[in-house]
Amino acid sequence: MSVNLFSLRERLGEAGALIAFSGSFSHSLIEELGLAVRKYLESESVQRTAMMDVFSVYVEASQNVRNYTALKLKEAELSISASSIIVIAKRDEHYEVNAGNMVEHEDVADLRARLEELRALDKAGLKVLYKEQLRKDRSPDSHGAGLGLIDMARRSSAPLEFEFSPVSERYSFFSLRVIV
Amino acid sequence: MENLELAGTTSTPSVRFQSESGLLELNGESYPENSFDFYKPLLDWVREFLETSTVAVRFKIGLTYMNTSSIKSMMDLLDLLEDAHGAGREVTVTWYYDEENDRALEMAEEFREEVTLPFFVLPNPTA
Repeated sequence: MSVNLFSLRERLGEAGALIAFSGSFSHSLIEELGLAVRKYLESESVQRTAMMDVFSVYVEASQNVRNYTALKLKEAELSISASSIIVIAKRDEHYEVNAGNMVEHEDVADLRARLEELRALDKAGLKVLYKEQLRKDRSPDSHGAGLGLIDMARRSSAPLEFEFSPVSERYSFFSLRVIV
Repeated sequence: MENLELAGTTSTPSVRFQSESGLLELNGESYPENSFDFYKPLLDWVREFLETSTVAVRFKIGLTYMNTSSIKSMMDLLDLLEDAHGAGREVTVTWYYDEENDRALEMAEEFREEVTLPFFVLPNPTA
């Protein structure tokens, strides 16, 4: 690989990237990047509601990636979690949080169905779903409460965008975009 | 029983649960690595406190940010207090929200909708 990072930087620039990280997510990294995002948005005098929406979507998205790769793929090769990515970008006066990680093919159908369900709901419908999920018992094998995607959808100004790209016999790459 | 006191960190709130006065306080932000692990000792403490004492409970929450798994744990905490209130215990919850964040009031109201105990939502004086 060439040592010249300019073309990589240019591609990030084209995507409107403010902060980008690719690699294995740790909790302390999520904290540090989150503080950096907030500092940046504060310096841009972004309204507090918008700033906390971006921060919140970032936390949910990155913790989802971390929880999935750390728990679900705990036996898998390191390269799987190392291919995770988060990009916080600004395009056309909107902030976006983009998150990507490897998912096993067997999880794709469920995830796709959940995302399609969220895309079809308006804000009132999302609130109903959120309240239902809040009252459900925790799944024993999860760090999360199953609320993250719903919360992201509630804070987004457009339906969640997603894509699955098959990369190997076992994995697809899952890309999620949330526009705040 | 002993008080439960924890200093806050970047992603965990400060905890001040006092058994003698019945004053329980949470302040700061909450998005721990594992919310279930973080909140479990708090839930255990409150459960024991409710069983072993009859002191009126005042729960004061000044959390300026919570991730969704913390929200789930907060619901568990409020459910314990709701049950105690239903059984005749004096319980009040006061939620201090960040006035500059429109979403913060909404979140407080959504918790209030889930319980019947006295639940006050006030702007955070320090925000």
